[in-house]
Amino acid sequence: MKSFFSSHNLKAGYGSGDILKGISFELEKGKVMTVIGPNGSGKSTLIKTLAGLLKPSSGEIFINESSIVNYTSPQRIKLGMSYVPQEYNVFRNMTVKENLQLANEFMRGDKKKKVQIIDDDLLGLFPELTSKFDALAGNLSGGQRQMVAFACALAYKPEILLLDEPSAGLSPKYMGDIFQAVKKVNELGVTIFMVEQNAIEALQISDKCIVMANGNVKYISDAKILMQSGDLHSLYLGDS
Amino acid sequence: MQIIFNGFVTGIVVTLPALAITLLFGVLKFPNFAVGSMLTLAAYIVFTFNVLFGLSLLFSTIISAIIFGFLLILIDQLTFAKLRGSSSITLMVCSLGLGFVLENIARLMYGNSARSFAIELARPFFFMDVRMNREQIITIIVSTIAMIFMYVLLKHMPIGRAMRAVSDNPSLSLVRGIDSPLIIKWTWFISGVLLTIGGVLIGMDRAIEPPMGSSYLIAIFAAAILGGLGSPLGAFVGSLIIGIVSELSTLVIPPNYRIGIPLAVIALILIFRPQGIFGKPNIKK
Amino acid sequence: MLSFIILMSLVICFSAILALALNFQWGLGGMINFGLAGLYALGAYACAILILKLNINFFWSTILSMLIVSLVSAFISIVTLRVSEEDYFAIVTLGVGEMLRLIALNEDWLTGGALGLTGIPRPFSNIIPSDAYIYIFLGAYILILCACIFLLNIIAKSAFGRSMRAIREDDVVAVTLGKNLLWTRVRIFAVGGLLIGLAGSMHAFYYQYIDPTQFSNIVIAYAIMAVIAGGKGSHFGVVIGSILIMILLEGSRFLKEIIPGLGSDQLSAVRIIIIGVGLILVLIYKPNGFVKEYRLNV
Repeated sequence: MKSFFSSHNLKAGYGSGDILKGISFELEKGKVMTVIGPNGSGKSTLIKTLAGLLKPSSGEIFINESSIVNYTSPQRIKLGMSYVPQEYNVFRNMTVKENLQLANEFMRGDKKKKVQIIDDDLLGLFPELTSKFDALAGNLSGGQRQMVAFACALAYKPEILLLDEPSAGLSPKYMGDIFQAVKKVNELGVTIFMVEQNAIEALQISDKCIVMANGNVKYISDAKILMQSGDLHSLYLGDS
Repeated sequence: MQIIFNGFVTGIVVTLPALAITLLFGVLKFPNFAVGSMLTLAAYIVFTFNVLFGLSLLFSTIISAIIFGFLLILIDQLTFAKLRGSSSITLMVCSLGLGFVLENIARLMYGNSARSFAIELARPFFFMDVRMNREQIITIIVSTIAMIFMYVLLKHMPIGRAMRAVSDNPSLSLVRGIDSPLIIKWTWFISGVLLTIGGVLIGMDRAIEPPMGSSYLIAIFAAAILGGLGSPLGAFVGSLIIGIVSELSTLVIPPNYRIGIPLAVIALILIFRPQGIFGKPNIKK
Repeated sequence: MLSFIILMSLVICFSAILALALNFQWGLGGMINFGLAGLYALGAYACAILILKLNINFFWSTILSMLIVSLVSAFISIVTLRVSEEDYFAIVTLGVGEMLRLIALNEDWLTGGALGLTGIPRPFSNIIPSDAYIYIFLGAYILILCACIFLLNIIAKSAFGRSMRAIREDDVVAVTLGKNLLWTRVRIFAVGGLLIGLAGSMHAFYYQYIDPTQFSNIVIAYAIMAVIAGGKGSHFGVVIGSILIMILLEGSRFLKEIIPGLGSDQLSAVRIIIIGVGLILVLIYKPNGFVKEYRLNV
């Protein structure tokens, strides 16, 4: 199958040295990719670079074979990429309703279409949201904020959804809800690229998996194969 | 009663610059000390069109507002944009330097002598025993409209929401499709329009000369801080309070020290209730 | 030419002390005092008034003015303790400075109002022969500057210095470690105030007349530039910075030769524009997070 979302030899860093030392991957349309690896392996840096928040020092990023590596974040959003950062992922001084309004107003390329703040698909995924419309996002619990962040990223149906540790800091109940939501979103046709610490839960809903260590791709494989191999722990901890 | 009215007008003249300060502080995160000289420069630009080119005051204001809006965008690109992300102290000191530059450019181009706009003199009239003149009424109406406009803009319009978003979290704004740099340019443009109109209102009231705007600096900050940085209603109410209290204080304090009132207000507010009357204690990030 | 260099060196001496005061309060103490111009004026006026109106000799006038400025500075720091945001603090201190300047401008009976005070005698000028005087005067000023640097270095290395740096880094942590926040801050301001008072007195003796226009906010612009341009945050760096900025300021007086036809009003406007632009450029191109410098060097 043709690659939909890919990078080639991507290198990036925050100052003197590169944290990403040459990352290449290919992901087909409609599939779910999870990146796992120990702390410091560069997972967060990778996803920030893909989202456009960090300028790579060299390398390429492609959506459907067009290069987007020189596009700003807003430009990538307009192309159909959506990103949920790990923290500070909602506007805390604005209400939930305003967060969603903003997402609707600015993420869609097409401003003229009059849209509801929250459509039925979204409502199906996050039924609790409507009751919280007038609450300030900053006053919500961690799990509720995550829901809002997710809902904003899905304000329009993106082609690609980037998730930075979606389950980080969440209680087990919310964690399960989040992964279920991710699965449902994928079933709607969205390609998912996810960085995660909770490897097992993430892999269960994934198609492909990358294991990173020290800024490099150590291992790319089919997620199911990886889970069955039983070698998960050592790979995850970066031993082999 | 007359004193209250005078105070009302004295105060309201400061509303527009206070709105600009509150907008700039909200989006760009620093107190802009150049705002006084920006007022002065804007007033001089209007003066140029009004007196030197002979256009009506209204028309001159409109043209100048647009020009000044773009001028501020340019100035931002040359100065603050290069310091984007720096601490608010750095930006503040930069604005201090900018203030010197702008005021003295005005001095260089127009000299030190006092100027005024070309408007017909109108006789003051009496309303309910209070003496008022046409300029004061215009000032009150314009400032009120500006405040309402800013409130509606920030609370209900997409671009206002985008400004609040950039104020809240600039990098998140980027990934929510908001073009932060463009929003910042809009912020400067709107501030420029507010400051131009503000400069005209001040210039109608008194002579236009290089130190004109700077003499209002403390009062502008007092109004914005008292009302709560980030709240248009606050800027309005704050400036009224400052004006009325200043005016009343002349009953007890020698006029030369009138500036002590806004100063004292600033100090008290920052010590006891930094978010002002209408500001919300900022939920950090 | 020689006399020009001597005069400029004299100005550099007390300007450097002023910059050192700012450096001490800001770089080591973490709080930028925008009331510098007003406090500087306070020092100069206090010294002048003590000499001219109360006939106190120059030594005690200087010491007393240093103490006065020190006390006022300490008072300001106590009152503003609750203001912990840097920029809010700057606004409040700016206001205080303005207030001081207004008093200087308005209280004619004390300060001479806009006309200021004239005829301030230089120390020992009646004893030392006039041709040798200026050199001795310069020597004295340089000595005072060196003494200041020496003392500041001692303070920086002392326990007090360590408290200062701890609080600058993170005042919440410092308090939990038992450092007394209020007391340290007051001392920082008091020491800074002593230096500002000294610089003010030296200013008064140098110019021999003072008026409010000498103490505008250009003073703080200059001091900030000196501190940042000198970079590294070391006390010597600040002095070097002072020299550089003084050269810039005084050098711009020569603009009259280069650009003919500039009236004196316009000339001073151009000079201030140069100062403003200089300040902006220094901020943009000397980005070494200047507080971070301190962490490494002092």
